[in-house]
Amino acid sequence: MKDLSSAEDQELVRAAQGGDMPAFEELVARHRDKLYARAYTMMRNEEEAIDLTQEAWVKGWQRLGQFHGESSFGTWMTRIVINLCLDQLRKQKRQRTESLDEINEESGGVERQMPVVTVNPTAGLERVELRQRIDRALGQMSYEHRTVLVLHEFEEMEYKQIAKEMKCSIGTVMSRLFYARRKLAALLADLRKGDTQ
Amino acid sequence: MMDYQQQLDLQAYLDGELSEAKARRVAAWLAQDAEAAALAIELRQTRSAVTGYEKEIRLPESREFYWSKIQREIQRQERAEPNAERLPEWLKVIRRLLMPATAMAMVAFIAVMVGRQPTGIPSETALTDTGAMTYRDFEKGATLVWLSYPADNEFADYEAAMFE
Amino acid sequence: MRPKLNAVGWAGLMVCLLAFAGEGQAQAAVLKLEAQLVWGTDDSKPPAGKNYQPVQPELKKKLKDLPLKWSNYFEVNRKSLEVKAGETRKEPMSDKCEILVKHLDNSDLEVSLIGKGKEVMKRRQSLPRGEILVLGGNAPNATAWLVILRQAE
Repeated sequence: MKDLSSAEDQELVRAAQGGDMPAFEELVARHRDKLYARAYTMMRNEEEAIDLTQEAWVKGWQRLGQFHGESSFGTWMTRIVINLCLDQLRKQKRQRTESLDEINEESGGVERQMPVVTVNPTAGLERVELRQRIDRALGQMSYEHRTVLVLHEFEEMEYKQIAKEMKCSIGTVMSRLFYARRKLAALLADLRKGDTQ
Repeated sequence: MMDYQQQLDLQAYLDGELSEAKARRVAAWLAQDAEAAALAIELRQTRSAVTGYEKEIRLPESREFYWSKIQREIQRQERAEPNAERLPEWLKVIRRLLMPATAMAMVAFIAVMVGRQPTGIPSETALTDTGAMTYRDFEKGATLVWLSYPADNEFADYEAAMFE
Repeated sequence: MRPKLNAVGWAGLMVCLLAFAGEGQAQAAVLKLEAQLVWGTDDSKPPAGKNYQPVQPELKKKLKDLPLKWSNYFEVNRKSLEVKAGETRKEPMSDKCEILVKHLDNSDLEVSLIGKGKEVMKRRQSLPRGEILVLGGNAPNATAWLVILRQAE
């Protein structure tokens, strides 16, 4: 294949399935930011996100024969990286005890009693600033809540699919998503309050 | 005041997860309930705030450096298992299943020979992943295991059943 | 004809004999446990018609030291279990839920909670004398259920 940069993903995938490594490298270059962004959002750690995405690419190469175009190549790779992140997060969870905040998240039912946030969290903010605030807010959540938010808001998965990925019930997905959204709203509102003080 | 189930129904309605009939009921309720309407606005604004969040994130390594590590690992694995690709799928599955079993058998054998339980239990191990979270106070000798709410459809009933 | 064993063989035989001896001792050990079903609430009284008593002050203090936010804890039920090493005991805590305890070794346990016939949780836990294991979850109306397991006094 002569001009890789102008080839469609489908052509590159076909070539890579035939063992064309430069074609696969072009696919990596095209989708690396998106995959890294997803891993970083879930893991909250640059180094881990880089390692996990590289592992995902190696697995992607090994499993190319299983990709038949049911989804886009980017979506297929994103699912591989999400599963690697979930495995890593579960392993980390088993190896540590939870912080008090994380226990309180699950045990308090506090999201039901949070006052509704009436200030639009995005009003008047530059894009970069908003991203930084969301970054901070996501970093303050437990991995379960952050993950369900990522899978629903960014991956656009239905509750049923999220439940399958996270190996929990649909009810758990709903309550975690609700908590995550309400906590995010409250955190963004707090950050805004910090502006004016 | 909204109860928790109503709040979840509202969220499900906004997410397009309800059946048509239930969605109509929630929409009707939403049109009349100011508290519900305020919560709906908050949920919509939060969703809109996170849209596009990931678009700004860039991998902090050059193309060549990042790719070189991937390529090296692919080549290393292919050198380690040169015939892997040629094995039929069913044989790869059996090999994957047998290898851990063999390792476990070895561990069990050695453990029995030295007179210990083969499991090597750490002091706390969750065996069923229900989304439980653990807090341990070593000083006070207390362990709390909290199951997510609701942990499971059957379990949601179970919670009420505890006190029946 | 007498079997001949070299040094390695004798060492192996000693290890096996010791292992079986240890096994025998472990089999004899019985662990006496107490399991309490407790209701956590901010209400000052149990529900109408229920005669639940507040938990003992010593237990209430232990629960307060954990990240649990309720003001009051009432005992719904209390059961005693005696489990020999290697055995499993099942004890109903209410009409629809049970606790299963397998005594692995010394004070190592495998604890399962069964709700309406379905296992909702299983974990392995070391539970030395004086320590407590608290299993819990949310209950209706912002209350909590807790199952507290410890060695009996």
